[in-house]
Parts: sequence; C-alpha cells; structure tokens
Amino acid sequence: MANQTPAVVMDNGTGYSKLGFAGNDSPSFVFPTAIAIKGPTGGGGGSGSGRPAVAQKPSYLTGGAGPSGHLSAKRGTEDLDYFIGDEALAQGSGPGYGVHYPIRHGQVDNWDHMERFWQNSIFKYLRVEPEDHYFLLTEPPLNPPESRENTAEIMFETFNCAGLYIAVQAVLALAASWTSSKVQDRSLTGTVIDSGDGVTHVIPVAEGYVIGSSIKSIPIAGRDITFFVQSLLRDRGEADSSLKTAERIKEEFCYVSPDIVKEFTRFDKEPERFQKYVVEQAGGRSVTVDVGYERFLAPEIFFNPEIHSSDFLTPLPNVVDTVIQSSPIDVRRGLYKNIVLSGGSTLYKDFGRRLQRDIRHLVDARIKKSEEKSGGVKSGGLEVQVITHKRQRHGPWFGGSLLGQTPEFRSYCHTKAEYDEIGPSIVRRFALLGGPGQ
Amino acid sequence: MLLLEYHNLLLKSILTERFNSATPASIDQVISDFDGVTFHISTPETKTKILVSISVKCFSDLVQHGALGVLEREYAGLITDVEAGYDFSLIVDLENLPAEPEEKENLIRRISLLKRNTMAAPFEKAIDEHHRLAEAQKGFTTETAPTGEGTEVMVIRYREEEAMYIQASHDRVTVIFSTVFREETDRIFGKVFLSEFVDARRRAIQNAPQVLYRNDPPLEIRNVAGVKDDGTGEIGYITFVLFPRHLTPQRREESISHIQTFRDYFHYHIKAAKAYMHSRMRRRVADFLKVLNRAKPEVEESEKKEKKTATGRSFRVQA
Ligand SMILES: Nc1ncnc2c1ncn2[C@@H]1O[C@H](COP(=O)(O)OP(=O)(O)OP(=O)(O)O)[C@@H](O)[C@H]1O
Ligand SMILES: [Mg+2]
Repeated sequence: MANQTPAVVMDNGTGYSKLGFAGNDSPSFVFPTAIAIKGPTGGGGGSGSGRPAVAQKPSYLTGGAGPSGHLSAKRGTEDLDYFIGDEALAQGSGPGYGVHYPIRHGQVDNWDHMERFWQNSIFKYLRVEPEDHYFLLTEPPLNPPESRENTAEIMFETFNCAGLYIAVQAVLALAASWTSSKVQDRSLTGTVIDSGDGVTHVIPVAEGYVIGSSIKSIPIAGRDITFFVQSLLRDRGEADSSLKTAERIKEEFCYVSPDIVKEFTRFDKEPERFQKYVVEQAGGRSVTVDVGYERFLAPEIFFNPEIHSSDFLTPLPNVVDTVIQSSPIDVRRGLYKNIVLSGGSTLYKDFGRRLQRDIRHLVDARIKKSEEKSGGVKSGGLEVQVITHKRQRHGPWFGGSLLGQTPEFRSYCHTKAEYDEIGPSIVRRFALLGGPGQ
Repeated sequence: MLLLEYHNLLLKSILTERFNSATPASIDQVISDFDGVTFHISTPETKTKILVSISVKCFSDLVQHGALGVLEREYAGLITDVEAGYDFSLIVDLENLPAEPEEKENLIRRISLLKRNTMAAPFEKAIDEHHRLAEAQKGFTTETAPTGEGTEVMVIRYREEEAMYIQASHDRVTVIFSTVFREETDRIFGKVFLSEFVDARRRAIQNAPQVLYRNDPPLEIRNVAGVKDDGTGEIGYITFVLFPRHLTPQRREESISHIQTFRDYFHYHIKAAKAYMHSRMRRRVADFLKVLNRAKPEVEESEKKEKKTATGRSFRVQA
C-alpha cells in the first residue's frame, strides 16, 4: 500500500502516558495516566477488577439489582461518563468524581480502568479507527505474560486493532539512544537506567534480550524526589509547599553536583545560587518561594540514599555496577560501554556525568585490586560510558516511534487474524524488532 | 464522552500553543484522523510559518462536488501551494496573526475543523439542491406537482470498502452509509445499537432524522455503479433521512457536522459497549472465583508438607 497509516505508539507509564504516531519525533500527547470516574476514590464501590464490591450475594443472584454503585445497576450511559489525563485531575479535584491510577509500578493494576483509558486515548485524543492502525505498546521489564495476554485481549477484542507489537521499554530506550552522536553502532546491547515517576530500573540488555535475572530496581524515583523537595520546603516554612510547587521546583532548578560538601560552600560564597520561584496561586495571588540547597540535594538521593531514607542505602552507581557484574561475562564490556539513560527523572543536569565518574571509580578500583592480586599484570582497562541524549525524556516512546516507522515493522506484529486463530497466548512471544542484521 | 468532537484535538492544541507562545519553535508532525485522513503540520521554511496539509482518501470525489469552493470560502487568505503527497494546504504566518484573542481563537477553530470542512462539500451541495427543488415545488398543488425523483446520487468513497451516498429531493436529503463488519460480534452489537436508534425516535425524540438499517442496498442506490448485493450480510446500509427542519440555514452546519461523524460515532460506541461487557465479565469471573475459593477444603496446619526447591530453600504455598 502506498499510503499506509502510521503505527500508533503508546507508552503508558506509572505517572505519564505518552501517545503519538510512529515517525514523529515527539509524542502527540503526554498526560497523567489517570482516570476520573463517578463515585468516590479508591477501590470501594468502584469497578475494581480483583475485588468486586458486592459483599453477600454474587450479582447473578441479585439479578443485577445489586447494591448501589454496582455496574449492572447502571442503565444509562454512566460507563461513558469519565475523563482521562489532565481533565481527570481537574474533574477529580471537584465533587462527584474520583481519580484512579490504573498503572502501579509500571504494571497495569486495574484492567477495567485501563480499557477505558485506552478507549478515550484512541477515540478522543488520537482520533483513529483502531481497525486501520497497527499499535506499538510498551511494557515494563519482567511484565508477567498474563498481563501481556490481557493487553492483547483488549486490543484485539475490544478495539479490533489491525496489528499489535508489545515492546519492552528498556529495549526501546536503547533504540532511542541511536540518535546520540556518541553511539556509533546501532546495537541493542547496553544497560538502561529507566527512572520515571514510580520506580527506577537498571536493566541489562544483550542483543535486544533483557537479562531478566540481573535486573535491579530501586525504590527511588521522581515521586520520592518531589516528596523530598516538599519536605525541605515545609521545614523552612515556605509560603507554598504543595506537591505541585515541589515538582515544578524539582524540574526547573535541580541539578547534580560533583561533590555536595563543596557545593554547600559554593552556595555560601555565591549567593546568586539561591533562587526564587514565583507561584501563581488560585485567585490571582502570587507568592514567592525561596529555592536553596534542594537544588543539588534532591537528586543527590540517587547517589547518597541515606539522606532520604533508611531502608534503601545502595547508591545508584553501585547498583549499576552490581547489575553488570552479575550479567554473563561475555557481555559485560558492552554493558559498561553503553549505559543509556531514559525517563523523566534522569534529566537533571550532569546526572550522566556524575554517574559515569562514580561507576568508573568503582571499576577502576576493582581492576587495580585484581592487578595487585595477580602480581602486576596490567589489565587492558574497561571503558565506561554513560549516554545522555536529547530523546531521553520520552526514551521508550521515541524508540517505539523509530522502530514503528520502519518498513518491516508490520511483519513483526501479530495481526488480528493470527490472534483469532491462536488466541491470547500468541503475544507471549514477539520477534525482536530492530535486532541484529537491520 | 458521549459524542466525538468535530475538530482535531491535536491540531488545535499545537496551534493554541504556538499562537500564544513568544518563542517560535519548529514543528514537524504527521497526524492521523478518522477515515484515513492524514494531516501534516510543519514549519518547512521558517519557524514562524506553519504549514498545515491534509490528505483525504476520497479527495477527488469531494472535488467533484465542490470541495474546493467550500475550502476557498472557509480559508480565504490562508491557502497555499499544495504540499507534495497531500491534497490541500494552508499556511499560517505567526507574525501576521489577528490581534484580538477572539479572532485568534476563531482562526484556530477553523483550522482544526479542516477535515470537517473538506468533507462538507457534498452535504452543502445536497442541501442547496434541496432548497432549489423545494422552491420550484412551491407553485404547485399536491396533485399537479411533478413527482420529485431527486437528484443524482453523489458517491463519496471515503474508506477502502465503505462509501457515503447522498441524494437531495424537494422534501428531504437522504444520506446512506455502507458499512462493513469483519467481526460477527461487532455486527450484532451494531444491529442492537441501530435498533436502539430507531426506538429512541419512536419513543422520545420525534424530530430526529429517520434511520433505517438493512443488509441489501436500499432502493435509492441500487442503480449506482459499484453497489452490489453480495448476500452475505457483511455490508450493512444505514439510511438517514434529513427533513427540511434539519436543513434550515440555522441548523444545517450542525447537521452536516453530526452526520459526518456518524460512522466513527457508531464504531466508537460498539467498542464502548464491548468494553462495558468486558468489565461485567471480569466482575462475574471475580464473583465465581470467590465462590470457588470458599469451597476450597481447609488443610490442617500440621498436614501441610514443607516443600523444598532444588537448592534446599523452602517456601509456603499460599492458601
Ligand atoms: N526536567 C526534569 N527534571 C527532573 N525530573 C523530571 C523532569 N521532567 C520530568 N521529570 C519527572 O519525571 C517523572 C515522569 O517521568 P516518566 O514520564 O518517564 O515516568 P513514567 O514513564 O510515567 O513512569 P514509569 O516509567 O516509572 O512507569 C515525574 O516524576 C517528573 O516529575
Ligand atoms: Mg516510563
């Protein structure tokens, strides 16, 4: 076909969903993965997938006239009365609607909500007839296969989409780094540090395959850093210490310093490092918030977690090093050479530089030790390179857009006809997109 | 969301963002819309000149029925050379925007309705035709009136296998959609949905257009080239009859917008209905699982055997 429809690329993250068409260099829509539906917040009475609200009698005994809030008691168009994204948050702050987040820790938690979230994404935002398009969706590392099957069920049975490919976010993030000038060969080997809103994953990938046994996740991500900034603002008694303000300050002012002790003295010497953030509050008033040490302290919790929590104490560079050391020996060199950043919480200035320096220190120390042990035999050294690139922010989405526009993309998808033939289990396996030889 | 919007949300949000921002930025986005429509919004020369192009599958059909005239009326002053690979292009100069915020809004709205306006031509033509025929009819009494056979049927092949047929006569405009269902389930949902349309009209909304559904080509279009009755029932025909009250100068714009989105609306609701069924099914399964779990015999704590993995670690099976 000369005029093929572009593939739809959807990256639904814990915090934000990125939607758009393959071939574009940025997603068409980025909005919170949130849905506002009638009724109170959180599980109770809602249409949760796992725990139905009906307590005593199952619905087939009450003949559909179950307790209030029961789905089958609704006769009108309530099932269409909901909002997603920014509209959901706006509606949720008023009465009547409750906000739900269908994705937790990267995985779909409530399929009812997710199905409706997709429905609105497709028809209201993207405005496409799913039967005419191929879809590329993303999944977190170690997504259970059942979850994939559920996704396929919805995509094929509800939406009749023409074809579907589900890619691992980390692999797409590697593909996204091909735009960096530092990357010479388009290899799918590397270590991906994906830090979004909910969790941070360190994922080794060899030739496009995730080394599942070596993945490590760190319970520190965007949300925690926002909380940290908020607590500092509160301690100082700033005029506005809402979560939203904390997040804006984090995104606009924070950076990674080479050494926090020196950074403190620099702040004392150069008062212009203290800044001010003006918040426009509701009602037209505006207040000024001072921005101080949190500028470099907040992202520092990746490197010195003890300043924030007492449960998790391993610095990110050490986690990366451990992950690579626990991977098969023949890929380690490639994993050190291509450490790729992805996700919103890796955007701090100098994040990559600090990470590279710290990992290099660890590696050099180990090499030195083994050289001493072996009695002076020189090692060839090991190249450590952390790749920072322009597409990092929406890395998985952008990788999907790159791969989704290739002419061979469609042949890697499972089609509706194949799904009808074999069933949901078909999506347990996908051929590797953008793999070797392309 | 009950109804679909007529404008393209993304075009609207990009333009709104660009119109109200002081720093120019380059844009290059391909945007799909329903019915095989593709937009391309870009800044090929300078960041302050935004080019918006549209490609429509049935553009040649539309041109035949006066699309260019409608577009020239709607977008006077913005039309530019057509971008290669597309059917129609507009250019907006950010340095020459109207000063009033309302006029800016208006411009954004007009551009984001590009698809709607491109597809509007045959409907406009049919409505004009209807008014002309109705006027000609006026001088006659019922007996002497020439039996208005209606104009020739306009065919808009707006999708690969589906088409719209439009015919005007002195007392109505008939719009027929042919629609293909690949899925058995969809066909059934579609039927239920349409009979609900017919019912609603009977019950409450008497001034809605008349809707008919059938599996063989309706009389009006039997003789149109390309219409065939394959007898499989895969193709359905939905007929809307728009009466003069829908075609008044005040109502016509709204009617045109509505009827254009019909197919997408229809398919959107079939899918929404399926999503609704699915959530009920999930709920039912959860109920059954609960019953099953209650029926599980309790195992005495002491009877539980400890199981060991190959490495000798032990774990408990969760009840
Ligand atoms: N410039 C920035 N500097 C620092 N943090 C940022 C910046 N921009 C966005 N963030 C943070 O990044 C997070 C969102 O990132 P992202 O969209 O990658 O997450 P996600 O994909 O929704 O979540 P996950 O990948 O965990 O499922 C938010 O916490 C946001 O505050
Ligand atoms: Mg993510």
